[in-house]
Parts: sequence; C-alpha cells; structure tokens
Amino acid sequence: MGDQVLRTDGLTKHFGGITAVDGVSFALDSEECCALIGPNGAGKTTFFNLLTGELEPSEGSVEFHDDDGWHDLTGLAPHETASAGLHRSYQITNLFPTTTVRENVRVAAQAHGNATSRFWRNVDAFPEYVDEAESILERVGLSAKADDVARNLSHGEKRQLELGVALAGDPDVLLLDEPAAGVSSESVDEVVDLIRNVARDHAVLLVEHNMDVVMDLADRIAVLHQGELIADGPPTEVRDDDAVQEAYLGGYDPDAPTASDDGGDGSGTTGEDGGGVA
Amino acid sequence: MAISEPTDAPDDGATDADGGTATADSADVASETATGEHYLVEYLRGHVAHAFVVAFFGLYPFAHTFLTGSLVGAEMAMFLPRVQTMITVFYFGLFAMSFDFISGYTGYLSFGHSAFYGLGAYFVILVANGKVPLLGSGTPFMVLLLLAGILAVVLALLMGSVAFRLTGVYFAMITLGFAQILYVFFSNWDYLGSNPRDGIAVLGRQDGFSIGVPYVDSLNMSIGQLQGDTFTWGMDFAAMTGIDALAPISHTIVLGPGEVSYYMVGLVVLVCYFMLQRIVHSPFGRAMIAIRENEERARAVGYDTFRVKMGAFAISGFFGAVAGGLFTGYRTSVAPENSFYFLTAGDALLASIIGGFGTVAGPLFGRLFHEGLHEFLTKEGGGLLPYLRSQLGEGTLNTVIVDGFTVAEAIEVFLNGRAGLYIGLLFVLFVLYVPNGLLGTLRGYLGGTVAGQVAAAVKRRVRGWKL
Ligand SMILES: Nc1ncnc2c1ncn2[C@@H]1O[C@H](COP(=O)(O)OP(=O)(O)OP(=O)(O)O)[C@@H](O)[C@H]1O
Ligand SMILES: [Mg+2]
Repeated sequence: MGDQVLRTDGLTKHFGGITAVDGVSFALDSEECCALIGPNGAGKTTFFNLLTGELEPSEGSVEFHDDDGWHDLTGLAPHETASAGLHRSYQITNLFPTTTVRENVRVAAQAHGNATSRFWRNVDAFPEYVDEAESILERVGLSAKADDVARNLSHGEKRQLELGVALAGDPDVLLLDEPAAGVSSESVDEVVDLIRNVARDHAVLLVEHNMDVVMDLADRIAVLHQGELIADGPPTEVRDDDAVQEAYLGGYDPDAPTASDDGGDGSGTTGEDGGGVA
Repeated sequence: MAISEPTDAPDDGATDADGGTATADSADVASETATGEHYLVEYLRGHVAHAFVVAFFGLYPFAHTFLTGSLVGAEMAMFLPRVQTMITVFYFGLFAMSFDFISGYTGYLSFGHSAFYGLGAYFVILVANGKVPLLGSGTPFMVLLLLAGILAVVLALLMGSVAFRLTGVYFAMITLGFAQILYVFFSNWDYLGSNPRDGIAVLGRQDGFSIGVPYVDSLNMSIGQLQGDTFTWGMDFAAMTGIDALAPISHTIVLGPGEVSYYMVGLVVLVCYFMLQRIVHSPFGRAMIAIRENEERARAVGYDTFRVKMGAFAISGFFGAVAGGLFTGYRTSVAPENSFYFLTAGDALLASIIGGFGTVAGPLFGRLFHEGLHEFLTKEGGGLLPYLRSQLGEGTLNTVIVDGFTVAEAIEVFLNGRAGLYIGLLFVLFVLYVPNGLLGTLRGYLGGTVAGQVAAAVKRRVRGWKL
C-alpha cells in the first residue's frame, strides 16, 4: 500500500429533495485498485462527477495529493481536475465519434501540454502526442483499429477506447465507471486483464456490478447505499458484511435511514444518465 | 454538427474532421524530405489542389473575357458569373469561411455573425469619413482591415463571455441578439450621417482604398468599382515610339478596375484562407474539433473548453470583420440592411451548408455556387431570362402552351424574379441529399481532406520521378 492520493471529506450532493451522495469520507491509496459497489442509483456515478468537478458538491471537500502535497480540488472544473491527474471513463461510452481511434487518444494526450495554444503550428509538429496515442492503443489492444472512425467500432472496442482516452496524459488516478458495461460475458475476461494491467501503474477506483470481476480485481471494496458509504474494507470482509448483504448483495431494504429521499432503486434506470448531465 | 452519411467512412482513416490522415501524410513527407527532396518541391506537391484552385481563379477573368467573346459567347455569358460577381464571392466567401470556422469546427452556430461583418464594414467607412477619433481619413486600407479585425476580436470576446455560458440554440440566440442590437443601433445613430437607416457612403476620401503594403505607394493597388486602379502589363513599343514595325513585340495586358479589384480582393482572401487553414490544422484546431465532437469529454480530458471557444470565436470574428472591411472597401458604401442584418449570417450559413460545413474552403465554393446560380436565374449579368428572350424567336415566344398562356408569359412567370425561390428549393435539396456539402462530399469520396488526398495521389503518381 502506498500513500493516499485522493481523499474526500463529508462529500454530499443534493438534487432537489434527493441526496445522491451523502457525507462520504473516503480515501484512495496511490497503488491500490479499489472497487466501489452499490445498487443502481446508489450515487456511484454522482460520486465520480463530484470528484472530477463535473458536479459541484453541496457540502464537503475533495483533495488530491501530488509531489507538492495536498491540493484542494473542491469546486474545480473538470479540465482542472484532469490536469491535476484525475481521469475518468464513462459508464455510457463518451468518445469523439467521427474522428479516428488514434485521434481520440491523441487529442486527449494533447490536452496535457501547452501545444493547444499554438494555433499557428501544424499539429504534425507535435509527434509526441501521436507516439503516446500509439502506445496507449497498443496497451488497450486497439492498434489495428487506429485508423478506424470511432463510431464504427464494436461495443467492446468502444469500451477499450473509452479506457484508452482516459489513460492519455498519464493520470495518477483512474476513475472507471463500469468499464465492462454491456460487454458480453465471453469478453469480460479481456476487460479484467486490461484493468489489472492499468492498475499496475495507476491508482484505480472501479465501479462495477459484476461481483466476480470485483472479487477478482479489487484490493479493497467500498459500498455505497443511498448515497452513504456503508462499508469500506478488504474484499472478503465486505462481502460477508451483514449490512452489505442486505443492501446490495442481498436485496433492497425499504427501512433504510434516508427513507424520505428514497429515489434510489426506483429511479435506478434514470440514474444511468446521471453522468451525462454536466 | 457531425452531419455525415453512414457510408462515408472508408477504412483508410477518413474522418469528417480532418482527423488522423494528415499524420500519415506527414510521416511520408518527412521521410521523403530526408531522402533529399527540396523542401519547396515537397511543399508545392502538398498543395497541388490549392495550386489548381488559385490558377483557376487567377485565370478566370481572362477565360471569362475570352469565352464570352467567342462563338458561344451568349451561352457563356449566361452560365459564367461576371468578374464583379466573383469579387463579391471573394469577400462574402471569406465571411462565410469565418462563420464556418466557429460554427462548423466547434459546433456553435454563430447566428449573429453579421455583427462582425457590419463592424468591419462600418469601421472602414467611418474612418474614411473622418469620424473616428485619432484615425485620419487617409489611414491606409490595410491598416483599417487589421484594426477592424482587432475591434472584432474585442467584440467577440464580449459576446462570447456571455454566449458561451450557454450551449446550442441559446448560444445562437444570444449572438443573434447582439447582432440585432448593433443593427438597430447603427440604423438610428445620427452621428453616422443624415440618414443612417439608408446607410452611409464614403465622402471625404480622395484616393480609393488600396490593397498592398501600407505606406509604400508603388506596392498598392486601389480597389473599387469607380476608383479602382487599372494595370497595364507589358509595353506597347509601337505606340511609344511611333514605329509600326515594332507592333509584333508590343503586347500589353490591360486590367480594368474590375479585374484589379478582383485580384487584390482575391489576394487578401487567399492569405486569410491560408491562415484559417493553418489554424484548423494546428493543435488548437484539433481541440476545436474535439469540442464539436463531444464537449463534455473534451472538458474531461483536460481542455479548458471555454478558453478554446473564446479563442476560436475571436479568430472567427477577426476574419469576419476583415471580410466586412473588404466589402465596403470595394463598394464604398454600406447600409445596416446589407451588413448588420441577421440574414447576412443566414447567407453565410447557406454558403457553408452548400459548400461543406466544417471545411475551410467549402463556404467560398458554396458562395460561388449561390452567386453563380443567382446570376444565372436573374436578369443581371446575362442570365437565363434575357438569354431565352433574345434567342427564342417571336414565333416561339408567342406560341400558346395552354389556354392563352404563351411561352413568353411562362418564362415571365417561372423565371422573372424567382431566383430566391429556386435557391431556397435547392437549399432544401442540399440539406436532404448532400448533407456534407460540395467539399465535404468530395472529401468523403476521396477519403480525406481534398487538399491532402490530391497531394497524396500526385505523390503516388510521381513516385520515382526526380524533380
Ligand atoms: N443530474 C441529476 N439530477 C437529478 N438527479 C440525479 C442526477 N444525477 C443523478 N441523479 C440521481 O441521483 C441518484 C444517484 O444516481 P447515480 O447515477 O449516481 O447512481 P449510480 O450508483 O451510478 O447508479 P447505476 O449503478 O445505475 O449507474 C439517482 O437517484 C439519480 O436519479
Ligand atoms: Mg452509474
């Protein structure tokens, strides 16, 4: 276990009457792969949106640790958290559809430098971003598809590219929102291998519903339920935790403390769109 | 604004958005240059398509004179736009390019783009009439164009700081609002002249507006319908010496004010085109495209999209104002109706859609198409109507088609003053059947930007040749 790289304190998000994320205090170590699980509508994607700045928290703080120590990320814009080293992938594929696979990653890499302001230079004067894109494509297994237009990829390939775009710019922390969403059961193993591979040199916070994948990859599991962090610990311990069993692995608990805000399971399907609202 | 047919995505890396293909080309260029090719040769080879287009426009006035004087002169005059029409294609084409630069590349429809055109147009005339403090009425035109552009940058930043807080249709509406405010303001501002609603004309300035190197008289040429320079190339030895025997070596090419204006305005537009093209192919341009493709993700990967959009809007405003400045430099008058009015931006949209949204040169060709068709369908400059009237005999014209309705009347009903109708219809057809526009469709077929693909094709052809 390394040092902490990301931590939140009392992070909270209200949507009108709904409390999607409720006082979450959480920390991520720089060398771990932590899984974040919870039923539909538990607030996982909203939690990501709060970390990256796509949503502004109602309360609480987000802090990020780099070589210079701790930095307050609370309320920063997404591009600022991305520059700080916090990257995410999306539950619903979110790419640059009509550009090539290579350009998707290249343009993401270019964001992490000062090339963008050089409007009088040709883009070919910056081969370093092409090189970075090529090596990332190699890593996510899309080298052969580099010249394809992104929207023409198969669903599985789009998920790989989704991860590739997040990898560009060498982030310290990867927030992966259901990277295996919609991937057929035969292909899940490839995704698992890929995540294990990137987890070697990144801190990873992984949202995933498939418990086999979670048990396979996670060094630690955190459980969100109706916006609250109800468990956080080693996989086996969390798996056997009564509250977790009841809330997620077991079933739905109508007597949960925030009963009045119970948008949770009912609106779980609309929760899928949560990430799209910026 | 990712308008494109599902079939136009060939395997070889084509993108609607100038994507990766350029990279592959450049690798080629680099390796060939390494083998000792002269840089200039490489450069020219990479710009074959541009060279053709420039040659086409460069020769057009001569071709026009020649063809309309030939045996099929009447037919040619009907189809070919006049040189003076081509001048309007140039400056309005530049305006449409500036419109497409922001709208087609970042996806933000700048519906109030006429604000920049009007600003440039009015600025030039106001200075010429001595109505702008600190600037003498004789300030060189080129300096005025530059200042107009800078003023437009300021206006763009102002508009953008409000409008870019919103997305999509709200952006279009806010910019439109700005343009309308300026339109009303300039329609009623008595300071401009006695009747601002009808527009203003250049009054004070003696020497017309000239294009060239500022403050160096010999490197300037005046433009304008009345005040433009003429230009004589070559020498008439026979006339100079009075010796008729020298006639065979006495060749002169005389360009009238129309032709001189054509070349000078064309030159400015060409330079602007290359600047815009350069920006589109820069890292900044790629960031603009990323915003058009998916702004949320662009932000998430680390782009300060607000800044990129502001920068793009400022650049676009700059060139929009230069276009407006050229417009009044040539016309020496301007009215709110033909500058600040929002339909000016509508025409730019039309040109962009016809020529190819999200292509640099497309809007210019779109405008050429539009103006050419307009001239063909109207009486001015030898269109279909006068052609039919003069070519069809009395007998044919008086032939009754049905129920006392003669051919002459049919021509009158279907052609006279109906240009707008057909152009509107054509616009609808374009949106339906050629959604990528002229250049965009060509790009789809070629599998990459037209300039890039033509260059690559030439390179394949001449591989092995030694230049
Ligand atoms: N922008 C928003 N506006 C209003 N309510 C929202 C918004 N985003 C999310 N919510 C609500 O917040 C709750 C948490 O949603 P979230 O998307 O974070 O859940 P999730 O844990 O990611 O679920 P899933 O497993 O289905 O992806 C849901 O009740 C959802 O309806
Ligand atoms: Mg989610």
